[in-house]
Amino acid sequence: MNIRTARQWMVTHEWMVKPMAQTEWIQGKGLLVWLAEVFSALGTGLYLVSVFFGLKEEFAVTAFWAGIFGWIMIAVFKLPLHLAYLGKPWRFYKSFPPFSSAWKTSWFARGIVFTMIFLALAVVQLILQGLIAYDAAAFNSGVMDANYVFMVLAGIFCVMTSIYCGFAMSYCKSVPFWNTGLLPIVFLLMGIADGLALIMGVGLVTGEEVIPTAESATRIMLIINALLILAYLVNANYQSTTAELSVKELIVGHLAWVFWLGIVILGIIVPFAISVGSYFTGEEATAGLLVFAIVCHTIGAFSLKYGVLKVGIYRPLLPKSQAY
Amino acid sequence: MTRWGMVINLAKCMRCHACVAACRIEHFLPLRVTWPRLIAVETDEGYKVDVSTYPVRCNQCKDAPCVDVCPTQASYKREDGIVAIDSDKCFGCRYCVIACPYQNRTYVSRKRDPGYFPGYPKTGFEKKGEKLYPHQRGTTEKCNFCMERIDAGLAKGLKPGIDRDATPACVNTCQARALTFGDLDDPNSNVSKLIREKSGFVLHPEYGTDPSVFYIDYKLGGNDNKAPVEAQTGSHIQHLSSVYEPVKEKLAKRYE
Repeated sequence: MNIRTARQWMVTHEWMVKPMAQTEWIQGKGLLVWLAEVFSALGTGLYLVSVFFGLKEEFAVTAFWAGIFGWIMIAVFKLPLHLAYLGKPWRFYKSFPPFSSAWKTSWFARGIVFTMIFLALAVVQLILQGLIAYDAAAFNSGVMDANYVFMVLAGIFCVMTSIYCGFAMSYCKSVPFWNTGLLPIVFLLMGIADGLALIMGVGLVTGEEVIPTAESATRIMLIINALLILAYLVNANYQSTTAELSVKELIVGHLAWVFWLGIVILGIIVPFAISVGSYFTGEEATAGLLVFAIVCHTIGAFSLKYGVLKVGIYRPLLPKSQAY
Repeated sequence: MTRWGMVINLAKCMRCHACVAACRIEHFLPLRVTWPRLIAVETDEGYKVDVSTYPVRCNQCKDAPCVDVCPTQASYKREDGIVAIDSDKCFGCRYCVIACPYQNRTYVSRKRDPGYFPGYPKTGFEKKGEKLYPHQRGTTEKCNFCMERIDAGLAKGLKPGIDRDATPACVNTCQARALTFGDLDDPNSNVSKLIREKSGFVLHPEYGTDPSVFYIDYKLGGNDNKAPVEAQTGSHIQHLSSVYEPVKEKLAKRYE
């Protein structure tokens, strides 16, 4: 056995003296958290967008299938990935009522409750949406009224599911880069932009005319998101020295390629350029270009969560490191 | 009401690691799990660079973020101020590990608990430890001020901080008497007096967590603006590369 291994507990740690990156949620098994959060953003974004498109009869089929895909991303990808990350997954039930009242204080527990309720309400809404999509008479009947009710209810819990992760992270005072109220908004709006991109893909398959509407909404959302990310970074830059270090790490440090290539170029500039191009030419982008834009957008979603989780840096422990 | 607390005299601490060893023996800690830590800080006084030591452990915060964020209520606060973990409730989400501003929680993974002699049968000591103080892999752990000793001592009518059998193992074993344990709510207790007389300070008071571990008697604790070398340089870019490598090789090698 290596002597160092045997003695390492006797070594004085130079630990938390300087800023130290969090690894629990991004390294090794922690990558599952990253993937789960990406699917959370994509799934909730797609579902929310499907709810808005479902308000119009001509988009009923697209809204139905987009809603289904959104639901699947949450139920089949996000939740199992989160479970796989846990040290004791079979104790999962202990986080929600009546087994625990932790939801009163814990955003993680709240998130689990929101997700469960959202999934249950969305099933009912999707059944109603399916009836409307494949039976034109249902649109003007009581089914649509019931659908409205479930759209609102499921939509509310979908928003909650989308933002809880941001709140959970922003609660951590130990990581100043996350410790801001802007984070949940960034996650929500980026998720909606991702949903708009994905619904274009669904529209390509169903053949409904959702693409022009989705493209114009995407243009606005991408501008808002770019400004929001800028505001987030500027805010973090002035918040504390540790947060400033996170920003530098993201923009000019180890993760600059994730930020510039993944988030900025592929996640924002390329989809924006494609949608602006179709605006000026007055013609819809070709299917190939749209698929390319959707892929770029999705890479942007993966990059955003990866970047934010990876540059989560703890504030040093010692008093005089209050400079951080 | 009682609120157990600890005062650490940084001037007396001589980095002997006896507290770390005592805790390891008391709780049969897995190989790579350490509840109290001694951390080294380089201070630059202009004419000499010094390495100082800070003993750190769970601060048993009055307003503990780890308790708030725990999704299963496995982390809970006792009436005597000790923040404890019910390992049978913990499902290992590690939210508390990240939320703790003092980074004093450890997730017990297979990697951190490979056995003291990986690849060999467990020793009698390890087997005994598993029975006496089981550590569940896949859950989170931290210092609990030896609450078992406190509870057992109180049941016998002993006074924690005064009687050894009711006092945390690290405090008992500290040969330099750098650690003092007692009731923070009692103005006449030894800890309250030390804090009052020697201007005890806590780590990161701005978080508002109200820790129960206080420090006294050291240059870094006062207001003389001594900072770690890296912070004094003013350039933060220089240690971007070290953010992901928090342990310096040279420090580790020194003990090999």
